[in-house]
Amino acid sequence: MRISQIRRIYQFFAILFFLIFLNGAGQSQSKAVPQLVKLQWKKCLICHAKPGLKKVTSEGEVISLFVNQKELAHSIHKNVPCQQCHMDIVTIPHKGAIKRVDCSRCHYAGSPIEPKNTKRYAQLQNSVHGIALAKGNPNAPRCQDCHGGHDVYPPSDSSSHINKFRVAKTCGKCHPKEYNNFEKSIHAKALNKHKSEAPTCINCHGGHTIESPKQKTSSVYASRIPDTCSKCHGSIKVVGPFGIPTQQVTTYKNSFHGIATQFGEIRAANCASCHGYHSILPASNPNSRINKKNLPKTCGKCHKNINRNVELGKVHVNPRQKSAGIIFYVSSFFKYLTITVLVALMLHIILDVNHKLREKRAGKKKETEK
Amino acid sequence: MDSPEQPKEIQRMSLSLRIQHIVLLTSMIILSLTGLALKFHDNWFAHFVMQIEGGFEARGIIHRIFAVILILVGIYHSFYVLFSDEGHRDLMKLVPKLKDLKDFFRYWRRNITGSREKIPFGKYSFINKIQYWGVVLGYFIMVTTGALLWFKSISMAILPKWVIDLTIVFHGWEGLIIFIVLFLWHLYNVHLNPDYFPMNNVWLTGKISVKELKEKYPLEYAELFGSDAEVKKNED
Repeated sequence: MRISQIRRIYQFFAILFFLIFLNGAGQSQSKAVPQLVKLQWKKCLICHAKPGLKKVTSEGEVISLFVNQKELAHSIHKNVPCQQCHMDIVTIPHKGAIKRVDCSRCHYAGSPIEPKNTKRYAQLQNSVHGIALAKGNPNAPRCQDCHGGHDVYPPSDSSSHINKFRVAKTCGKCHPKEYNNFEKSIHAKALNKHKSEAPTCINCHGGHTIESPKQKTSSVYASRIPDTCSKCHGSIKVVGPFGIPTQQVTTYKNSFHGIATQFGEIRAANCASCHGYHSILPASNPNSRINKKNLPKTCGKCHKNINRNVELGKVHVNPRQKSAGIIFYVSSFFKYLTITVLVALMLHIILDVNHKLREKRAGKKKETEK
Repeated sequence: MDSPEQPKEIQRMSLSLRIQHIVLLTSMIILSLTGLALKFHDNWFAHFVMQIEGGFEARGIIHRIFAVILILVGIYHSFYVLFSDEGHRDLMKLVPKLKDLKDFFRYWRRNITGSREKIPFGKYSFINKIQYWGVVLGYFIMVTTGALLWFKSISMAILPKWVIDLTIVFHGWEGLIIFIVLFLWHLYNVHLNPDYFPMNNVWLTGKISVKELKEKYPLEYAELFGSDAEVKKNED
């Protein structure tokens, strides 16, 4: 009975696709919703077009069953009939428990549908979300939780849930604390001004590749944070137009904190330890962790007894630049002193060897004369 | 020339000095390796050194252990030169004098012009003196700055941030200069020097042959064995 049912569904879709193909050949394929798909929608939308349509799950959760027709008509799946995704719905009224849509029926590596050979499916499986999903965590997100259900648009579309300027809000559905902190940050401020250079969640955490910060391979693992931040903050192309210097990356890498981090020492301060992460703010902002006034507290997280002395001087000192003041002059002095010592010693050694050889030759001469 | 009672060898380094020297050189080599691996952390060699030192944290621990050894040998040495007879005698001979400055210029003039003038030295030539006082100066700089960096929580509470930054500059560069002097100059003087190649054994045996003493340190020879050397010197 079951097998025959499935076969029937496949037959139905085979015919449907054929008809869609025929239909699409006539009109421009991408713009309008094909007639037949529309027909199918019509059947479902008799009920689902009603904004108030809801159901209560066995756990007592209220779920809206409203389908926004306008969204659907613009979505990337506008050519897809309802049942292609909602495969378990075969009768009206619906029987049994209706499951959430499984996108992997169509979207899998090597499938005939774009994107065909993307690594993303595999990446998702190894991501923190994929692992949680595999473990059966009910809060783990499925594709549609981020990409949208009926309103899936390409990321370039400004109404897409995963659009650069909207994705933070999407992540914030499940991570509200992080979202609220992020909204205060300078990065969010830039995003709100539609500066596409500014990072949003996925630029630091990754999209499908997202891993727990405790995972060593995560882009936000303590010792990898400097690499992640320097993707932008080390590039004059990205941060230059905003007047942000890129040398902070180099000065950090040459600092004790930076060296320790490069060798995998996670107790040493990385960028986020001092600057913060989601709520990151420029030093000029009085709420910033690196505002002079807040430095004793920020440094004091690791260094006990710290006091206002830490304000006397610079952080991210570049000894090669005049702006470093005395540090610059002393290290330049040492540089030339080292070179002088090196040259003088070499000269001394060469001349000394020369003298010794001369003495030896003279000694031999004396002997032969005798 | 050699009187019957004149020995073939005399002691140049006492046992105590030889032990101090071995402790000093061991700690200095390890401090250099662990320190420079941190200063020049960017290249493969530093990574290699860091690896054999047992990783980043172990590197720091080793550096501190040998720093303590260096500090202790320094303290012992200062007691030795101040309060022991032999130590104090040597210290007095190491005091820089006007003659050393003159020797310095004579030495360079001779080596540049290629004359065969002999410069008579006492037990410690100006080269020995520069090395000794160089080590003393380096010791104080490295120990002070090193201690400030080791006890950073205390030093950061007392000193402004820029002094700490300066401390790092001093510790790193001074360390590099010491390294260069040791491995270029000292290595030349006692190993690669054609007179001693492959090595001057005095640091192990403590002995110097009287022949060499007469040739290299005629004033010391004269002091020990009378005016014979003076005559010889004047002949030259």
